[in-house]
Amino acid sequence: MATSNMKILCSTLSRLRVDHISIRQNAFYKPPRYRPPHWFVPKERVMSEDLLTQENRDFIEEIIQDKRNSQIALESPLAHAEQQTNEWNPFTRRVGLIARKIGNYPLWSKEGKKYQTTLLQVVDNHVIKYIPPEQFNPMKTAKVQWKEKKTLGCLLVGSETVDPSTVTKEYSGIFNSVGMLPKRHLFRFMVSPHASLPTGTPLFATHFRVGDHIDVRAKTIDRGFQGVMKRWGFSGMPASHGVTKTHRRPGNIGGGGEKARVWPGTKMPGHMGNRWRTLRGVKILRINTKYNILWTLGVGIPGETGAVCYLYDTVLPLKKLKTAPPFPTHPASDDLPLEYYDETIHPFEGETILFDEV
Amino acid sequence: MALAIRKSTFSILATARCIVPREFRGLSSLPETKEDVAQDVAKRSTGRKIRFQNPALEYRHVYPEFLPDPNPKWRNTLREKMERADMLKRRSQIDIPEFYVACENQSVTDLYRTYKTLTYIYPVSSPTSFEPFIRVSGTGIISRTGSVAHYSLDEGPPKGSKLVSDDTRYIYVKLKPKPWLERWERQELKGVANIDEHLKEKDKVRRELRKTPWEKYDLMKQYRKTIPAEDQNEIWGEVHNQLNQLRLSRKKMFKKRPVSAPKTQLA
Repeated sequence: MATSNMKILCSTLSRLRVDHISIRQNAFYKPPRYRPPHWFVPKERVMSEDLLTQENRDFIEEIIQDKRNSQIALESPLAHAEQQTNEWNPFTRRVGLIARKIGNYPLWSKEGKKYQTTLLQVVDNHVIKYIPPEQFNPMKTAKVQWKEKKTLGCLLVGSETVDPSTVTKEYSGIFNSVGMLPKRHLFRFMVSPHASLPTGTPLFATHFRVGDHIDVRAKTIDRGFQGVMKRWGFSGMPASHGVTKTHRRPGNIGGGGEKARVWPGTKMPGHMGNRWRTLRGVKILRINTKYNILWTLGVGIPGETGAVCYLYDTVLPLKKLKTAPPFPTHPASDDLPLEYYDETIHPFEGETILFDEV
Repeated sequence: MALAIRKSTFSILATARCIVPREFRGLSSLPETKEDVAQDVAKRSTGRKIRFQNPALEYRHVYPEFLPDPNPKWRNTLREKMERADMLKRRSQIDIPEFYVACENQSVTDLYRTYKTLTYIYPVSSPTSFEPFIRVSGTGIISRTGSVAHYSLDEGPPKGSKLVSDDTRYIYVKLKPKPWLERWERQELKGVANIDEHLKEKDKVRRELRKTPWEKYDLMKQYRKTIPAEDQNEIWGEVHNQLNQLRLSRKKMFKKRPVSAPKTQLA
């Protein structure tokens, strides 16, 4: 009897493990899983030597060129669509455009006033895919509340066609699944369901009209790690008069006394720029339909020359669209005038305006 | 001008040419000095290879405003193309006399280019050739050397200025005593006659210390200040036809107009 008890005890003790520890926790708790949108796939590919013969290279090049040509020749799906029954209303959200900032130069008004403008080129924009509001299920974050979750659909727009062999297979697959060539930039616009567009619809600068106001979202110029004088405009300290070792320093940063700490949000040195910023209510002064260029008033559009920016109809209440814009977008047509000018702008080829000397 | 053509001011200014000689000529838009031209001719006569075959490249002296800013951060071929097209469109509407300015702000180009036209030279010596002809008008004085020339603001009355000789047609400026807008003594200006009168010993010593004689050998610096030949070929190939036509039509107009003494014009 005693030996059998001892055996049981021994076997029980031998099964005891130190590494198996039970922790009290909420059995229903699951950490939020990062759920990126399905089009967030790696794009850059490590280029490798394929050891192809020159003939094969030429063949591949030929095929890519053929595909590109066929995409260019592709007719806009809007051309065949029936007369659009959907009407624009002030609560509609239209699709935006992907543009490149290509520089600044002045235009002159009819009163002889000089306006600085920024040129935005809309390069090769195509609708890639539409995800209706029921299927669009973005990840919730603590900060952003998706109030429009159930009302707005998601429209993917790409710009600047690239060679498919220069991007990853996954990234290329997003486009291949809808029969398009991969684009360098892919961006999501939240649109009203009746403003959705079929895949392959080209978007042009004429999507906006002259005189309209747009919001421009882009990344600011990356200035790297900067001190407080450049980053926050502090005055620094005198260059002379006995000042040593402290010419560009911030000085006192608060704290002391009962606080005994630095308040959060204190302006300090740090990384400056390379942040997403939106400039709202930018007026369009001129549009070139051949090269798809928009001249926008002012030089405050974020980013350096060549930066990619996203254009939307403005949300500012006083500058919102008042009349119906091209809806859902402006169709492709050949008989457009080359240039559209805002009524305040004097065209360069216009006759000289003479003012009496006062 | 009885009428102030405010709209066209930019274009008038934009056509203005600079008459500043400078050491480096690579692809600079600045004109060459006489010796350099002579050397070039000598080179050609000895059968050495001519550097630039494109005759349109010569426009870089006449229309420097068609060249973009060489800073690569601000370059964009399409933007430059639109800008040149706009400049040509404006020129098709207004008749801009070819004139030289005393001064221009070298740091900006294209439609942004601004000039201080204190005095300019008007092409009146003969209707067919646009030979520069100097006129000194009012209080303005030509200051034709140095890349900056708004030191005319500091100059004295025009009586003191003198024409040195006929072939160079240089006019020397006499500066007023200090204070000046800038430290002119450090800028190696060739058009100033009396700069040493106003200098203290301290200024002269510091001028020597501040000199940068090695800069004329800094090829990289000069390269960065100029537009490469390939780019210029493209630019001039695009605009030289229209510019030629504008020039011809202006010459015709010039022949037709009644002969009279040219009015002095101050900007």
